[in-house]
Amino acid sequence: MSFVPKTQAFNAKINAVTIGTGEKAVVIGGQNVLPFYTFDAPIENAPKIGIEISDLAKEWTAPALVEFYAGCETMTDYAKRAETMPGADFLVLHFESADPNGNDRSVEECVADAKAVAEAVSMPIAIMGCKNVEKDGQLFSKIAEALQGKNILVLSAREEDYKSVGASVVMAYGQKVGAESADDINLAKQLNIMLKGLGVAPESIVMNVGTAAVGYGYEYVASTLDRVRAAALAQSDADLQMPIVAPTSTDTWGVKEAVASEEDAPEWGNQEERGIDMEVATAAANLTGGADAVIMRHPAAVATIKKFITELV
Amino acid sequence: MALKGLDIFKLSPKKNCKECGCPTCMAFCMKVAQGALPLDKCPYFAPDAVAKLSEATAPPMKTLEVGVGANAHKLGGETVLFRHEKTLVSKNLFAVNLCSCMEPEAIDAKIAEMQKVDYERIGERMFVEFLFCSYVGNGVEKYVELVKKAVAADRAIVLECWDVEAAKAALEVCKDTKPILDGCTAENWEAMNALAKEYGVTLGLYAENLSDLYDLVKKLEGADNKNLVLDVTGKTAKETLANAVIVRRTALKDGDRSFGYPSIVNLTRFAKGDSRLQTAYAAMFTEKYGSIIVMENMTYAEALPLYGLRQNIFTDPQKPMKVESKIYPLNGADENSPCCLTVDFALTYFLVSGELERSNCPVNLLITDASGMSVLTAWAAGKFSASTIKKFFDENDINNKIKSRTLIIPGKVAVMKGEIQEKLPGWRVVVGPTEAVQLPKYMKDKEYAAGAEEEVVVAAPVQEAAPVEEDKPLDFEAIKLKVPAIEVVDMGVKYKGYNPESKTFVTIGERIHCISPVIRKAMDERDPAPILKRAAEQIAAGATYLDVNIGPAEKDGPERMMWAVQLLQQNFNNVPLALDTANQRAIEAGIKVYNRENGKPIVNSADAGDRISNIDLAAANDAIVIALCSANGIAKDNEERMMHCHNMLERGLSLGMEATDLWFDPLFLVVKGMQDKQMDVLNAIKLFADEGLKSTGGLSNNSNGAPKNVRPIMDAGMVAMAMMQGLTSAIVNPCDLRLMETIKTCDIIKNNVLYSDSYLDL
Repeated sequence: MSFVPKTQAFNAKINAVTIGTGEKAVVIGGQNVLPFYTFDAPIENAPKIGIEISDLAKEWTAPALVEFYAGCETMTDYAKRAETMPGADFLVLHFESADPNGNDRSVEECVADAKAVAEAVSMPIAIMGCKNVEKDGQLFSKIAEALQGKNILVLSAREEDYKSVGASVVMAYGQKVGAESADDINLAKQLNIMLKGLGVAPESIVMNVGTAAVGYGYEYVASTLDRVRAAALAQSDADLQMPIVAPTSTDTWGVKEAVASEEDAPEWGNQEERGIDMEVATAAANLTGGADAVIMRHPAAVATIKKFITELV
Repeated sequence: MALKGLDIFKLSPKKNCKECGCPTCMAFCMKVAQGALPLDKCPYFAPDAVAKLSEATAPPMKTLEVGVGANAHKLGGETVLFRHEKTLVSKNLFAVNLCSCMEPEAIDAKIAEMQKVDYERIGERMFVEFLFCSYVGNGVEKYVELVKKAVAADRAIVLECWDVEAAKAALEVCKDTKPILDGCTAENWEAMNALAKEYGVTLGLYAENLSDLYDLVKKLEGADNKNLVLDVTGKTAKETLANAVIVRRTALKDGDRSFGYPSIVNLTRFAKGDSRLQTAYAAMFTEKYGSIIVMENMTYAEALPLYGLRQNIFTDPQKPMKVESKIYPLNGADENSPCCLTVDFALTYFLVSGELERSNCPVNLLITDASGMSVLTAWAAGKFSASTIKKFFDENDINNKIKSRTLIIPGKVAVMKGEIQEKLPGWRVVVGPTEAVQLPKYMKDKEYAAGAEEEVVVAAPVQEAAPVEEDKPLDFEAIKLKVPAIEVVDMGVKYKGYNPESKTFVTIGERIHCISPVIRKAMDERDPAPILKRAAEQIAAGATYLDVNIGPAEKDGPERMMWAVQLLQQNFNNVPLALDTANQRAIEAGIKVYNRENGKPIVNSADAGDRISNIDLAAANDAIVIALCSANGIAKDNEERMMHCHNMLERGLSLGMEATDLWFDPLFLVVKGMQDKQMDVLNAIKLFADEGLKSTGGLSNNSNGAPKNVRPIMDAGMVAMAMMQGLTSAIVNPCDLRLMETIKTCDIIKNNVLYSDSYLDL
């Protein structure tokens, strides 16, 4: 009695969403098996890596990261340098300083930055806001308008603002949108239904179903990813078949393990290594759970995850 | 698949002889199903039943114990592929690789490095559990020296050794540590099997591919060895993932126990020299089925994320993670920094501490013991109250440790402000924001300081209330004097009466509840009007019982309950009541003035955990008790629900209660969040009904968080399905017409009520 493994490819598949244009355009999603289950069926598109560039990047302190961006002044400088990072698939412009409770940078300045970057780079562009619903609404709409034809991805539409973001970003300006919920599979599904109700095509939607750094309530993220993928593939739920884009660096570089200095935690050793491994472990966990793209920051972490993806697909 | 307790029960002798130590055959079978007792504890099972059961009760994946003492570890025993399906039971363990090819100094140095990583995170010791000792054929002597060092390092040991002679020599050195012998192949299996049996150790199997590995397992199982682990490491990461997944899936999904063994994944074979890549793979194999993950090294940089991830993944989804209850000074806080108070639910702690850290303002975060519940859940369960907070302040000596007198409480429990203020004289209790994300702004803008000066003057003269003497019998006459005279008002509604013998479904109206601000205020002020109004509405809508929730009522519970009971019964023809509070003395006082004309009072509620004494209370007062089939947290499956059910039933019966006076509550769960558990709840009701037991529960919990127009439909669907399963009562909003009409219709279909065209109007 010899052993014959049973394979488990599904009839349903994850939508393939294209961002960017031309040769550098990337396709996110497309597989009909669980992440990296190449033994069940070939993986159509390998997971992608987006490189986070923040308008507060000057505050970054990790030495090798600072070194990588040495001499960069403007967001365009950063973006052009990021394009050269081995493993980069697309660029993520993170407008943190637009936060009205923070630097409150004007929408016009942010749009000007985005425009300058778009003219200087050829990789696809994604936009992250400042988490303030009202400000993000204006910012997303103006950037989507200014970058028409670039097929950018805007992160993200939430329960509070999906109507305005969906209507402007996708319906008016033809860009792609991320639907964001936090460890709530029912809301993740509902958001997609509501976006589709506005007339947004499923192929224009990606999801962020919740993120955390490993060790920080990550069990909720892990189970949400597992359940979303089970619904999309095993139950053929078309309202959850959108590919998942998981912002990773924004969580991992803010936790104690990455932030505590060597003076504060001498037994923990090199601070930058801790930050890199935190980003690597969280990105690997996100990809293993179901993320079709991760957003990362540190070149060493990006190189590692690129190798991880290449070896597994 | 493992057998259910009831399947075993069907084959049991059913004589309840108690020789096994269990009160009933049913209880014994439940324990056997859970693996808590072996079947042979009962001498009366028929031999063919035993044979049938021992095959069927074997779990799909073996649980192995390796190592000894502080280095004893459990491997395997998983029953599901994903944690949300139930829970994962044995966390993966980490090993660091040592090799006979290393110089002695290098071995010492590596062991010293490995030992540095040893710390605690949320109550769990984080360290490298195993040393993985590889033999490369360079002389038995060298290997023995290596293994000696590993023994001295005080960790559990895996011997990776294909050479029988070297393996024997190594085992001789480390046999007392109960190591794993990983080196059994198709070529050497007979000799290795003999060695493993001789030394009583777990044997690790390795083959080139899964087909060969499967054949090898069969050979060893044929030689009666099931103490095995499978080294599933392939030549590449890709092949290793395939092996790990297919082995686990074959065992758990396809039910083939020959692959139902723990696994070893050796990262040094395909990611050597790249510690970051090993971190990535270790994260993946933590989620995907590595039982022992072998790394080249374990530095803090690798350990911090990996152990954090592992702790998250192997958390029981039904048991919340708790953090230690104590003072957490943040952002360099000292004794003069203000205090923020919240509960010990780990996610609450991480959210609140994260946002407070983001504010950069020095603050003392006070975490109280709330059994790992979130703020509102803990408040409702009486685990986060003025008394628990006072207790926390006393036990931690906060008044002396901290000089600041500003205490910020979560906005969601603003109602507790007054009570906390009374229990903590001298403190200025301030209501903080309702969401953690609002904290940075709140702290930076010092919003808590608003109005500080006037309030301190008010707060200072407050005297501490005289402590209630817990054990002293209640002086009911004295309490009665404090209860205001009851005024009977004509509300235009008369309670029709209820016959406890009737088979009709019992609805318990839930609308008099202190979670409603209107009712809370009315209870505080002893204002009858709002309470009578809600009672009248519910009675008019056809409620059988009314629930009376007076809140945690720590201070004046007995007089509050006496007042409420008399108010409702005197106004509404002795309507039967469910007395609902965490304060037992209040329930006792309520029963003292309760009129039984329309049925016994209901004690709401007992559980199988620290509220089990409410069964005693019900027994002593000849009351009905709602018995929640949970102890600490939601029961993970129906085996556990039935175990709680039987524990409580046994307790009630031993105190002389009728079985039908315990109404078992399976605990209805919210669809938005626990959709996959709904059928479990419904099946539990069937199990109660099959044993002739009554049941009830907060049915509308299923539709929590759903839109207003959807909730009545979900509740109606749920009650119909639950009544089909045998539900005999529910705690509901009787003013929900759709729900009440559904219940009446189900009573008709179940032949509990004789049909007439006007049955809906009756």
